[in-house]
Amino acid sequence: MSIAAKKKIGIIILTVVLIIVGIAFIYPFLFMLSSSFKPSVEVTRPPFSLIPETFTFDNYVNLGKVQYFGTWYLNTIVMCILTLVLKTFITTLTAFAFAKINFKGRDAIFLVLMSALMIPADIMLIPRYFVFSAIGILDTMFSIVLPYGFDIYFVFLLRQNFVTIPDAIVEAAEIDGCSYFKIYYSIVVPLAKPAIVTMLLFTFVWAWNDYMSAYIFISSDARQMISVGLERLSLGMVTDNGLNMAGATVTVLPIIVVFLFSQKYFIEGITTSGVKG
Amino acid sequence: MSAAATNAPRIKRFKRQAHENRVGYLFVTPYLIGFLVFQGIPFLLAFIFGFMNVRYPNRIGEATFVGFDQFVRFFNDKLSLEALGRTGIYTLIYVPLIMVVGFILAAAINQKIYCRNVVRTMLFMPYVSNMMAIAMVFIVMLGPTGPIGSALGVPLLFDTATALPAVTVIGVWKGLGLNMVTYLGALQNVPRDLLEAADIDGAGRWKKIVHVTIPMVSPTTFFLLISSIITSLQNYTTIQTLTQGGPGRSTTVMSIQIVRTAFTSYQTSYASAMAIIMFAIVMIFTAIQWRGQKTWVNY
Repeated sequence: MSIAAKKKIGIIILTVVLIIVGIAFIYPFLFMLSSSFKPSVEVTRPPFSLIPETFTFDNYVNLGKVQYFGTWYLNTIVMCILTLVLKTFITTLTAFAFAKINFKGRDAIFLVLMSALMIPADIMLIPRYFVFSAIGILDTMFSIVLPYGFDIYFVFLLRQNFVTIPDAIVEAAEIDGCSYFKIYYSIVVPLAKPAIVTMLLFTFVWAWNDYMSAYIFISSDARQMISVGLERLSLGMVTDNGLNMAGATVTVLPIIVVFLFSQKYFIEGITTSGVKG
Repeated sequence: MSAAATNAPRIKRFKRQAHENRVGYLFVTPYLIGFLVFQGIPFLLAFIFGFMNVRYPNRIGEATFVGFDQFVRFFNDKLSLEALGRTGIYTLIYVPLIMVVGFILAAAINQKIYCRNVVRTMLFMPYVSNMMAIAMVFIVMLGPTGPIGSALGVPLLFDTATALPAVTVIGVWKGLGLNMVTYLGALQNVPRDLLEAADIDGAGRWKKIVHVTIPMVSPTTFFLLISSIITSLQNYTTIQTLTQGGPGRSTTVMSIQIVRTAFTSYQTSYASAMAIIMFAIVMIFTAIQWRGQKTWVNY
């Protein structure tokens, strides 16, 4: 057998092995999806086939009847939208100023922000509870939206991105009589679109999946987010596995769909700018 | 006349600087206020609380400074020290596992395999998914009547002996995609001519990996090593959603212990002191990272 043929067989074997590993990796998702279409008794009954014996939509219908489930879902959507709007506006405006406006004390302020970049958010959890209580946003979605909106990490990443836009373009616009605000929204923001999209995607994933902030800062049932809502669902009087899996599926689905259509931005965001969880 | 002519550009520059200052402050002020309220003040309060005896937000006026009492208490508190030990075990399992498996998968995908993007997508999916939803799925699958639980005969998450390793492995499963994609990016940047030179010298596949690839990606390895250690310390959501720190106290690590101390037993200052200790540990690794970026990386 020639070396090329040997090499090709090696690659085919490796591909098969990796696909098996990949399927094992997403097995929990397949199990979740298939269980959501099974009657509850069938979920935990051998042979655990991924294709339901009795196919049913009952779990989804019942999910719609669970008190607050729709509210939790809607709360999470509204919270994500508010977070994305606030964060996009605030972080791009701030990053623009740090990159392109030569105001006094800029570098000193930026240095302070950079040192705050190293601080893990966990240490701020307890004091934030006190601050939120003092400014009256405890038990509202703003206790999740505002800390996400005033994030340091993306101010830093976007500023690094904006710096690469040549000053000559900005200066030319100034000579033409553009205000800084106009330069910001009609030149810099459009040029940095990929970086901004990456930020939006990661922020959406983090905000949608957030569990800790909702768990600690939100107490009313009617104001809760989907992650904690799911927990309430699973801790119900009777364990209804089919219902739980339907709840898990509708929670995971939006993220997976967004991810499948925008992978490029996620992967590039991680490899070129080092976004970290 | 001539004095005015030479002053004109200077006045213009001065006016321009004043304008840049005004616009600059206008643009950054909203952010700086938010930063102060949501990051700066909480950070300072975290330290102040650690040296006080604060309990409830509405009775903060009654709190007094108690020096290092909360820290002394920590080192005499058996339950908290055990929690710190469990955090150590979690990290010791999590970090080597995620580093090695992440590298192996990245190296395998980096071969010219078919369906590379499909495989990459499958391995990355856990990273973007909701931990609570995932936890519900694992609880059913690993439960005594679930497909994996009944096959193994041991309900991994519900047995005090296996719960901690089980939540750790699920944490690795969830976080692996990020490490793998980061490694993949680094592997694709390994210069092709170096690998070809090794080919010409007659190096086999393993020799190439050990002597060319691994040294070439050492900066990434170093970065991932430190960030994985830090990630492993921030394991609250993984554990709370899977086991709530149980069964018994078998998965009660520091992050769980801190939240429980602060928000269940309302010992705010004691919890703050524990958070400061964890912060100090994270800072040690961050400092190593900053130094190491310059000195430890070799190729």
